Amino acid sequence: MSAVLDLGLRAQAAAIAGGDTTPDELLDATLARIEERNPTLNAIVETFPERSREMLATAPPGPLHGVPVVIKDEWPLPWRAQRFGAAELTAPTAPGESAPYRALRDAGATIVGVGNMHELGAGSTGNVSFYGPARNPWDTERCPGGSSSGPASAVAGRLVAGAVGADGLGSVRFPAAYCGLTGLKPTFGRSAMEGHHMAAITTLIVSGPLCADAGDCRLLGSVLAGEELAGGDAAGLRIGVVRDTVSEDVTPEVASACEEAIEALRAETGGQVREISLPDLEAATLAAILIINSEAMSGTTPERLNHLSPELSPIARGTLKYRMLLPAAATAQALRVRTMARRRLAALFDEVDAIAWPTVPAPAPPLEMPMVDLPSGTHTADQANVRGAALANLTGIPSISVPVGSSAEGLPIGLQLQATWGRDELLLDAAEALERANGRRWVDALPPLAQASPTEA
Amino acid sequence: MESSAAADPFIGAGLASLGIEADEVDLAVMNAVHQLLWPPTLELLSLDTEGVEPERCPDMSRAPE
Repeated sequence: MSAVLDLGLRAQAAAIAGGDTTPDELLDATLARIEERNPTLNAIVETFPERSREMLATAPPGPLHGVPVVIKDEWPLPWRAQRFGAAELTAPTAPGESAPYRALRDAGATIVGVGNMHELGAGSTGNVSFYGPARNPWDTERCPGGSSSGPASAVAGRLVAGAVGADGLGSVRFPAAYCGLTGLKPTFGRSAMEGHHMAAITTLIVSGPLCADAGDCRLLGSVLAGEELAGGDAAGLRIGVVRDTVSEDVTPEVASACEEAIEALRAETGGQVREISLPDLEAATLAAILIINSEAMSGTTPERLNHLSPELSPIARGTLKYRMLLPAAATAQALRVRTMARRRLAALFDEVDAIAWPTVPAPAPPLEMPMVDLPSGTHTADQANVRGAALANLTGIPSISVPVGSSAEGLPIGLQLQATWGRDELLLDAAEALERANGRRWVDALPPLAQASPTEA
Repeated sequence: MESSAAADPFIGAGLASLGIEADEVDLAVMNAVHQLLWPPTLELLSLDTEGVEPERCPDMSRAPE
């Protein structure tokens, strides 16, 4: 059974459809795998075997029939209110049927657990959580990435083959890059979101799949989208690269792996690479931060902030209070910058099909001190990471992180591809082309923790 | 950890005018966030966006009109 557990999402679904295993056997084996590995990873904060069995008993035929998945602690389930990785939330919660839950249920999937996350979704590292940090299966002293830390750790550790995360400023793509996974941030509005904890964040966040490879992301992404993200052809892909901080201020290993991958993608698709310009990228990053902070604080009162739980982390408490001070004029300016960025991208995507740059500038930093050393100096990982991620959230375009290499310390490196609105399928096609180009070397790589597998059904 | 006395006057004045209480730990965090966010915020405010008409009810799932 451990062999089935190590398969991807498509292969697990096929194993069930083909009678190689039964959904009950797979569920039991998955729960055993979680029991075995989760104490090391802290990827999953709660399992509910009876609820999972009930879900399985009523599972309809569907593309994920009987396949176990994990959902981030960001949406309610009918039997559990979300905690958002925090001791206390600024908005009330209650159990319920969120849109991602319904999408998974209707596809026949079995939710086996809730994934850990960075407290309040406010970090790219996953090192802060009410539940304690999730750990990176490639090195359990390293950050798994955030805020979808648990979903990524669970998939990379082969606890499950697919997980649902959320991406408001890179929160699917960062953990994908840190954990050696493929993570899709769909076009805004395309994936199931209703019931999300921060209902006031109306213009930046999407749900997205975290899986081993692009084909699995296509499957889970289709379930979340409620429509097939059909496979196509990335032939003749026109790739734009930006010679800017986001692609230049990275570690030499990241630069080298990403450049090599871009060239491999060009060669595989028979495409072209050209240098492009994206003016005011730093302003766009700040604009995204200001807008999401402004939306997140909607409905929060000073009185509420005066009664925050002492169990919230000091960073969360201070940051929540600081957000109240951000001037409205800056948010208004941010909305103009968003307009500028969207118009520039619309014009740019007439000339290129995809924009490529490193997902994160350095591999996963230590959990204890998530700092990264870059050519420009030492930065917090959050400060460095957001530069490459925020544009897609600010403008609504889809984006994907694909594993393309490994550092000398054995930590994954991710390349990010971005396309115009609605061309999520092209990003998956390109990711699959990249997998072909490198012989699936990086998507099939297993972390040390997942290589020894005593789990049996 | 920085003391409240080292907090930027912007933070102290803002908290006071909104009636938000903050202890020394809160202030130290706020000061650190302020040092990261405020300089680029000032740059953003000085960016020339004259003539840029923000989209009305933008559909973020599509390219702008």
